[in-house]
Amino acid sequence: MALRELASLEKYLGLKKPNKYSTQGDKKIPVLQNNSPPLVGLVTIACHLVKESNHQELLGDTADSRAVVQQWLEYRLTRLDIYTKEDIKTVLKDLNLYLQDKVFLAGNHVTLADILIYYGLHPIIVDLAVQEKEEYVNVTRWFDHIQHHPGIRHHLPPVVVLRNRIYTSRHR
Amino acid sequence: MTKEGVQGVTEEEQQAQSKKALKKQQKEAEKAAKKAEKQAKLAAEQQSTDEDDFAKDRYGVSVMVQSQQKLGKQCFLVLRQQQFNVQALVAVGDRASKQMVKFAANINKESIVDVEAVVRKVEQKIESCSQQDVELHIERIFVISQAEPRLPLQLEDAIRPDGEGEEEGRATVNQDTRLDNRVIDLRTTTSQAIFRLQSGVCQLFRDTLTKKGFVEIQTPKIISAASEGGANVFTVSYFKTSAYLAQSPQLYKQMCICADFDKVFCVGPVFRAEDSNTHRHLTEFVGLDIEMAFNYHYHEVIDSITDTMVQIFKGLRDNFQTEIQTVNKQFPSEPFKFLEPTLRLEYTEAVAMLHEAGVEMGDEDDLSTPNEKLLGRLVKEKYDTDFYVLDKYPLAVRPFYTMPDPNNPKYSNSYDMFMRGEEILSGAQRVHDPELLTERALHHQIDLEKIKSYIDSFRYGAPPHGGGGIGLERVCMLYLGLHNVRQTSMFPRDPKRLTP
Repeated sequence: MALRELASLEKYLGLKKPNKYSTQGDKKIPVLQNNSPPLVGLVTIACHLVKESNHQELLGDTADSRAVVQQWLEYRLTRLDIYTKEDIKTVLKDLNLYLQDKVFLAGNHVTLADILIYYGLHPIIVDLAVQEKEEYVNVTRWFDHIQHHPGIRHHLPPVVVLRNRIYTSRHR
Repeated sequence: MTKEGVQGVTEEEQQAQSKKALKKQQKEAEKAAKKAEKQAKLAAEQQSTDEDDFAKDRYGVSVMVQSQQKLGKQCFLVLRQQQFNVQALVAVGDRASKQMVKFAANINKESIVDVEAVVRKVEQKIESCSQQDVELHIERIFVISQAEPRLPLQLEDAIRPDGEGEEEGRATVNQDTRLDNRVIDLRTTTSQAIFRLQSGVCQLFRDTLTKKGFVEIQTPKIISAASEGGANVFTVSYFKTSAYLAQSPQLYKQMCICADFDKVFCVGPVFRAEDSNTHRHLTEFVGLDIEMAFNYHYHEVIDSITDTMVQIFKGLRDNFQTEIQTVNKQFPSEPFKFLEPTLRLEYTEAVAMLHEAGVEMGDEDDLSTPNEKLLGRLVKEKYDTDFYVLDKYPLAVRPFYTMPDPNNPKYSNSYDMFMRGEEILSGAQRVHDPELLTERALHHQIDLEKIKSYIDSFRYGAPPHGGGGIGLERVCMLYLGLHNVRQTSMFPRDPKRLTP
C-alpha cells in the first residue's frame, strides 16, 4: 500500500530512477536503503523524495505553510490509519470544517500534504454513499479537485462525484 | 356539533351573519323540542343544595371536549369535531352561574357534549384552533357521554410534531402507544385528515376506472393453492382440509380477462405472511388491482395505469388540500410532484444513471432498496418528478408468468412504478399462451401440478393482457410524505400486531 503510494509519488515528481523499497515490521513501514543511514517511514521518505527532485514548493513556500504541511503529514500517520466508524466520522467532520474556506490543505497550491492525505483518504471516500458525500461537501469538493490534478491519481480508481445535490428535501 | 349548527341569539349577530341566521332558525326549532325534553329530565334530577343556582337548567352532561382551562370566573374549552376545533367560553354572567363554570371546568376530556352558544368574532386570532377568527360563548352545555378521567394518551401530545416535542421538553406519543389505543389516536385531527384522504384515493380510483370502462370485480380470498410461491401465505383450516388466504387477486383477475370482461379492477384485502418488520410492510393491506386486455402493445396498459394515478394525484391536490395541510402541520413534507404525461424510463437508462453516480451493479441485477431510493433522488433531481415508471425489467428477476421481450430475450415486458423513490406497483404483460407459460414455469422449476388450473384457463382463447396492483396504504403514505405505513392503516396488521 504505502509502497504503491511512494511509486506514484515518484512518478509525479518526475524522478528518473525508481528506488527500491523494503518493508519493516507488521505495519509494513517502508524503508529506503539508498544511502546510509536508511530512511524509515512513509512521511520521511516522501519528504526526502521531494527534496531530491527539487520540487521544494511541495513542502510549502513560507515558514507558515511549511509548518501546516508538516502538521497534515503527521495527521496522516496518526489519524488516518484508524478505521472504526466513529473515527472515520470524526476525521471527515474535522476535514469538512477545515476545508470550508480553503482550496488546498496548506497555502495556495498543491503540496505534499494534499497528496498524502488524498492517498490515505481514498479507501474511505470510495465506500461513502452519495448521501454521506453530500453531507461532507467540502471534503468531497477538495477530493474531486485533487484527484483530477494532473499526475496525482495514478494507481487509484477515480471516485464519482455528482455535481448537483440530490439530497435537498426533507423526505429521508 | 357542527360549525353551522350553533345558534346565535343576539340581534347584532343576526345582522352580521344573516346567511347563517336562516339555518340557525331552522335548527332552533329542532333543538327547542330536544331542550324541552332535557330540561324536564334535569329538573327532576337536580338537587338544589347551592344557593341561587339560576343557571341550573342550562348545564349537564353532550361535541367532544378536547381540553379546558379554568381562570377564575371563566372557563375556556376547546371543542372538536373531526378535523376542526373551536374555542368556547363559559363565563359567569346572566346566562351562566358560578356552579356552571365549575361544572364546565370539571368535565372530563374527550367527553361528548351538547352545546348551545353564541358565535362571536374575536379581535385576536386564536392560533391553537382550526377556526381562528370566532369563539363560542356558551349558554347551555350538557354532557351526553362521559369519558373516564384518565386517558391513555393526551391528544395535544399526539398531534405535536416530533421536533417540537424534543425542543420544548413536551411529550410526544410513540407509535406503539398510539396503535394500542387506536380509537383515541384516530380522533386526532391528523389521523382524521389522513383517513379522509385515503377514502378519497379509493373513490378517485373507482371513479377514474369506471369512466374508462373498467368493471369492478370481487375475487375470492380463500384459495386452494398458493398463487406466488408457497412461503408467504397464511394457512386457514377449511373443514377437513386447509386453504390459503390470497396473496393477490392476480389469478382471478386474469381469469376474468379470459372470461371476456376486457377491463377489470378490484379493491380488496391482500394477505402476505412475510416476516418483515419494516416501515413499509404489513401482513394485511388493501390492494387496488387492475387488469386489462390490450389491442396492439402492452404500453396501452402502462398508459392506462399511469393516467389513473395522475387523475388520483390531481383529485387529491384539488379537493383535499385541507387534509394535506392538516397532516403537514404534524408531519412536514414537500408537496408531491408529478409530470403529465408520466415519465417513463427504461431499465437500461436507470442502470446507466446509477453507474454515473458511482453505484456498481450488473445490467441484469435487480434494484436493491437503497439503489431504488438513490435512483428516486437522481430522477427527482434530473426530471423534477416524484412519480415515474421503470419499463423493461430483466427477465431473470421477474415471476414466471411475465411475458419476455420479443426483441431482446434478456428483458421482459414488465414495469414498476415508484413514488418518492419507493416502489408502489409491480406489473407486467402476462403470458397468455399455455405452451409458453408451461415452458416458463419449468424454467423457474415450479411444480406444474400446482398451477394446472391456472394454465388451463388460457386454453380456450385468451387475449393478450397485462396489469398491476398498488397498495392503498403505501400510496397514501408516500403521497403525504409520511414515514411509516402503519400511520395510514387504520388497524394495522404486522408480524407483531394482531389487535385492536
